Amino acid sequence: MKPVAFETVRAASLAEASRLLREAGGGAKLVAGGQSLGPMLNLRLARPRLLIDVAGIAELTVAVDAADQVVLGSCVTTAAVEDGRAGDAIPMLAEVAGHVAYRAVRNRGTVGGSLCHADPAADWPTALAALGADVIISDGRTERSVPVAGFATGAFETALAPGEILVRIRVPVPSHSAAWGWVKLTRKAGEFALANAAVLVDHERGICRIAIGALRGPPLVVGDARGLFGGGPVGAGALDRVALNRLLGAHGGDGGTERALHVTALARAADRAAAVRSRT
Amino acid sequence: MKTIRLTVNGRAIEETVHERMHLADVLRDKLDLTATHLRCEQGVCGACTILIDGEPARACITFPSVCDGAEVTTLEGLEHDPVTTALRQTFTREHALQCGYCTPGMLVTARDIVLRLPDADEARVRRELSGNLCRCTGYGGIVRAILSVLEARRAGRLPVMRSCRESLGPVGSRPARPSAAGAPSLSAAPARATPASSMGPLGLAGAAPTVALRQAFTVAQPPDAVWRVLSDIAAVVPCIPGASIVSVAGDRVVGRMTVTLGPMAAAFDGEAEIARDGSARRGTILGAGSDRLTRTRVAAEATYTVTAEPEGARVDVTVAAVLSGPLAQVSRGALVEDLAARLTRMFAENLARLMAGDGTGGPGLAPAAGTALSVGLLLRALATERLNRLVAWIRAARRR
Repeated sequence: MKPVAFETVRAASLAEASRLLREAGGGAKLVAGGQSLGPMLNLRLARPRLLIDVAGIAELTVAVDAADQVVLGSCVTTAAVEDGRAGDAIPMLAEVAGHVAYRAVRNRGTVGGSLCHADPAADWPTALAALGADVIISDGRTERSVPVAGFATGAFETALAPGEILVRIRVPVPSHSAAWGWVKLTRKAGEFALANAAVLVDHERGICRIAIGALRGPPLVVGDARGLFGGGPVGAGALDRVALNRLLGAHGGDGGTERALHVTALARAADRAAAVRSRT
Repeated sequence: MKTIRLTVNGRAIEETVHERMHLADVLRDKLDLTATHLRCEQGVCGACTILIDGEPARACITFPSVCDGAEVTTLEGLEHDPVTTALRQTFTREHALQCGYCTPGMLVTARDIVLRLPDADEARVRRELSGNLCRCTGYGGIVRAILSVLEARRAGRLPVMRSCRESLGPVGSRPARPSAAGAPSLSAAPARATPASSMGPLGLAGAAPTVALRQAFTVAQPPDAVWRVLSDIAAVVPCIPGASIVSVAGDRVVGRMTVTLGPMAAAFDGEAEIARDGSARRGTILGAGSDRLTRTRVAAEATYTVTAEPEGARVDVTVAAVLSGPLAQVSRGALVEDLAARLTRMFAENLARLMAGDGTGGPGLAPAAGTALSVGLLLRALATERLNRLVAWIRAARRR
């Protein structure tokens, strides 16, 4: 299918993009790589009058790999993260990136674009929430930050106000002794997740955080998940499945098979984290 | 409607398209490049996979206006690519296609696997192929075909090299074309590169040249007439393929020079100062420029001398230049000489036409149309078997 008619403009700056967004009053859509928006345009699920291309704004494609945090411009592609070209301080980022869609999609699809698209089945919202990342949002003049865990407010809904743009993502670098596990369950490699889950255990920083995605809305993030593992070492065997089921139910997740997939994804992620820790 | 410019299989194109028309439709319907197939139009099936800026991407969910200025390579453009050639042979041998509908996308993805993942095993090849659907073969033959090219690569029987993409942004993305005011960015975050308003010192400033060229051509016109035309900046610059003038003040000219060669394109913004010695019919040009997109800088000193020849005038040109930045890495002597020879030939032809137009009132080369025409002529001249060989060489060099 072909999209309905729209116009496009390449924004030269954040300020210009923000102004255009506001002027269009909801008729405009920002596009970075357009790999989620493209299918929606073709299917006429999205019918914006104006596409504002922000991928050429230089500051959005910058990555900084510092000692304590990795900063990704919102238009850094998933392929760049996969290759380690956007920094390699957090190995989990490359692992997550390598299983997002397909290489031909990752070469245009961006991390920030995925967060803003806020598809519940996407991988970046779950993974970045588990890593404790936050996003910097600009309205063209001032900036504010929002934790990734609170950025998506619903399916395809975010905390972005009219005229606001996601500028960069800050991911704290876990300590060297940290353990992590990432699991994505699909029937076919590369498709959207049936279930995904991440576990981060960083004793030095006092962190035991989990995130479960591919729910009806935003991911379920438990900042202190020690209780889910009985306070002991993290692993599938220690997982309190009854408590997790209760949490998922309260979060509005599906029941039945879907629930079982989410629980399984987390259990496997916990085992992977345990395996990582046993290696160090 | 929007006018977009792309380099498609090494050819510069300009098309006015409906903005809702995706790239695959532009390639197929406007450019008759029908190797790019369409099925799902949702980015899932992979039939439309092409190369944008040298990397695989979906043509069905990429719109031309968001990759304006990009380099696009379709399967047609990979005819002489060594990896694709090897894959074509193994695809044939292994029966890796039946109806052939998925094959163009399969080949583009397979090429990427061979180049990017030399150590891939069967499981990895199958995972990487998950973005290309085939309904005929069951993938067995396709996987075997790719594995055997990978094996050839590992055994050193297929010398390929691949460079890492520098930009972290989406393939095809480009900065907005500068508006009149050049809307400044409010944020002080690190920018990639900022074009200097002045290039600083012109010429080599004592640096040792990395490129030295000597070219000569003849024009069937009296030497003094040739010298006069060469001294007229506004007339002569449009004769240089890809060159255009931004402003002229006395002997100082600010301009732009676009060089397109196969998958490479660079637009140098720069300045030059010209000094002339009329009695010796000898001119000296000191110049400097930079290509904002590739962050390539060039500084050059050139001389030109007009002498009398039996059939008219002979123009000798020497160029000494220092090239630095990404383009410098692929600009080996032989390559630059090849390009320079083409540019010189085109320049000589343009100059001859311009002067014929001046002298006889025949169809001359209007300076306003000069740039586009010159580039068009250049590109037509470049569309030769020789260029294909050259492009294959450049691609190999690029992967280093």
